[in-house]
Amino acid sequence: MMKRLRYKLRQLFVVYRHEFYLTFHDGGILLFFTFLPFIYPVLYSLIYNPEVVRDVKMVVVDHDMTASSRELVRRMDATQETRIIGYAADLNEGRRAMDSHACYAILEIPEGFERNIGNLETGNAVMYCEMSLLLRYRGFLVAATNVAMDMGAEITTERIDELAPLAETLAPGDMMPIGNVSLGNIENGFDSFIMPGIVILILHQCLILATCMAGGAKREDPRLIGYRPINEMPSVLMTMLGQMLCYMTIIYVPSIFLYHYVPMIFRFPVAGDPFAEMAFILPMVLAALSLGFIIQGFVAQRESVFVFWVITSVMFLFLSGLTWPRFAMPGFWKFVSDLIPATWGMEGFIRMNTNGSTLAQVRDPYIYLWIQAVVYFAIAYCVHRWVIRPKLRPFLKVSNVE
Amino acid sequence: MERKRTGVAAIVWRSLVNMSTKPIYLVGFFLLPLLTFVMLTSLMESGLPTKVPAGIVDHDGTPLSRDITQSLAGMQLVDLVETPTSFTEARHRVQEGKIFGFFMIPENFQADLMAGKSPEITFYTNMTYYVPGSLLFKTFKATAVYAKAGVAVKVLDNVGVSDAPTSLLQPVNIGARGIGNPWLNYGVYLSNSFIPAALQLMIMLMTCYTLGEEMKRRTSPRLLRMAGGSPYKAVFATLLPQTLTWIVIALFMQVWLFKFNHYPMNGSWWWMSLSQVMFVLASQGFALFFFTIVPNLRLSLSICALLGVLSFSLAAFSFPVESMYPALGIFSWILPTRYNFLIYIDQALNGRDIFYSRVWFVCYIIFMILPIFTVWRLRKEFAKPVYAP
Repeated sequence: MMKRLRYKLRQLFVVYRHEFYLTFHDGGILLFFTFLPFIYPVLYSLIYNPEVVRDVKMVVVDHDMTASSRELVRRMDATQETRIIGYAADLNEGRRAMDSHACYAILEIPEGFERNIGNLETGNAVMYCEMSLLLRYRGFLVAATNVAMDMGAEITTERIDELAPLAETLAPGDMMPIGNVSLGNIENGFDSFIMPGIVILILHQCLILATCMAGGAKREDPRLIGYRPINEMPSVLMTMLGQMLCYMTIIYVPSIFLYHYVPMIFRFPVAGDPFAEMAFILPMVLAALSLGFIIQGFVAQRESVFVFWVITSVMFLFLSGLTWPRFAMPGFWKFVSDLIPATWGMEGFIRMNTNGSTLAQVRDPYIYLWIQAVVYFAIAYCVHRWVIRPKLRPFLKVSNVE
Repeated sequence: MERKRTGVAAIVWRSLVNMSTKPIYLVGFFLLPLLTFVMLTSLMESGLPTKVPAGIVDHDGTPLSRDITQSLAGMQLVDLVETPTSFTEARHRVQEGKIFGFFMIPENFQADLMAGKSPEITFYTNMTYYVPGSLLFKTFKATAVYAKAGVAVKVLDNVGVSDAPTSLLQPVNIGARGIGNPWLNYGVYLSNSFIPAALQLMIMLMTCYTLGEEMKRRTSPRLLRMAGGSPYKAVFATLLPQTLTWIVIALFMQVWLFKFNHYPMNGSWWWMSLSQVMFVLASQGFALFFFTIVPNLRLSLSICALLGVLSFSLAAFSFPVESMYPALGIFSWILPTRYNFLIYIDQALNGRDIFYSRVWFVCYIIFMILPIFTVWRLRKEFAKPVYAP
């Protein structure tokens, strides 16, 4: 019994050691293990690093030309979100400015704006927004709401004073202040919102891409790629475990860079306990590797992994619920997203990293990830045992001489 | 019938046979692009996520606070699933992902209000998730403002102004009109940019894959002989059937987006079709350019994958170019999909005159002619293919 175990462990060790040799002699796989986790997140974070959209250009069409309308324009210009670049004589001129990409919104103040305010009615203004980017629209909306409320509150206080001087004693100043607090991503930054999810997706994808490229290499003519990429031992289980352990060893440092140092460097919210996060990521790494080992069964050459896997990054990003929340997904797509390790990895990690959840608070994704790791590993074993092994048999006799 | 063994027709035939017999071409040309089309549009079919799970912490428990709870529960965008008893409990629900935000009514709210002590109402939104967080913010704010108006009417009533006009409390109003997408439909916003970018990614990958495989399988010398030694003839004849296939797919994409999904199309169908055709050629030209610079299957695929995936952020579909660092923002101009997006904004979304989009069409042409200056490099590479793993 002990002898058999020792024999098995020896196989594991031989595979583990040899896989390092193969990986470090394959520029393609190495690129996935180094360039992808080290350069990609930095590029991505830099693109979104300004975090918020400031001073989006706006044109004003002022038909009223009074102190109140100028006050409104001045306040709009003073907001963080918008910048008034000038006045247009009428809507057509404003429209021309928008068409030639000079501005993204037109604020039209109709005649009688001040008169309406003076008559205790509502002074209405209209803001026409260009809808190509929702971040711009959101900025305009926030600015307009804040300006209307602030200006409105001042005028209301004046009006109430005039109508009923006594009211001032009952409600001095703001009678019911409204406060709001953003949790997690406290500055409402775009980079801080999207990157914690992206780093996990990058980790997930780089594991699968590297595994699939290694799998594709096995099927190729060794003369073509210049080396024999086959690293198999009689025990399928030990072969798989040896290779997985090798990849996990290699990805260890890059993964810490991804989920710990990238948020630190770019000052994203870092509220989680790094060791708890590491424990959380482990089953996702296992599940992703197992998924990669399953896909190895369908990869016939090294480079085809680019063709059929790169685009899944986009699909997985959408299915993860980062941009479109999972509770609003149609049933079928929700089911598909349930099957992807990255979905749960991102969901749990974002909550730990940004909202400071403990491991116990993300137990649902954590449990799903372990289930996925076990199930995918079992499927991967079957694929290797009954699909890949028979195909490699002709080459194996040579490689086992070792 | 004996087929001619050299010439453009023979190369085109050979390329067609390749495309229709190897499964990876079927996956790359049809399965993955079509899957992306269907996935993105059907995922966001409802347009805007409604019923965001939220909670309310009512420390007051008076008729007034219950009124506020009821009006919040009646909002379309919110689903009040939890009523935590304390702030800490509510925060835990947020951390567990059960709710995306909560509304807090302080103790003695009603009494303080009537006594003029200005109690503060606070709402918390989890901005870790941008879309549900923003929607909750909007709804919470509206609820708070309505509540405030109701309170103001009561206070005024108490001091004897009983028939105050409702406009009294809202002296200034700025109405926002979203041109082209007044429903704030996320499908319109995301599908129209991400689907062409996905198509660009696949076009670039398949172009490099096709040419790189010739070199890897050492069939490129034969291809060169068939073309009479001209790398231009060899490359363009090989890519021609692919160009036509991509054009059909790109036009189908347009039909899929604007006919099947009824996304707003305020401009000319023909200008948009021209844009799709030129987009296909520009993406192919762009990929071909990189392949001629790095004539190696894996490296050229790596470059295309890198650029193709970065396109999704760099082409400024969600974060505007003018807000990026200028050193990175300029790279958005070297991506064909950026011009597809800009033409879509001008033509389909806003229905502008074609005059305003003229520059974008010219940029397409630059991508198309770019490889013409570099394809000659492939003569040597194709004649003596070297495969570097």
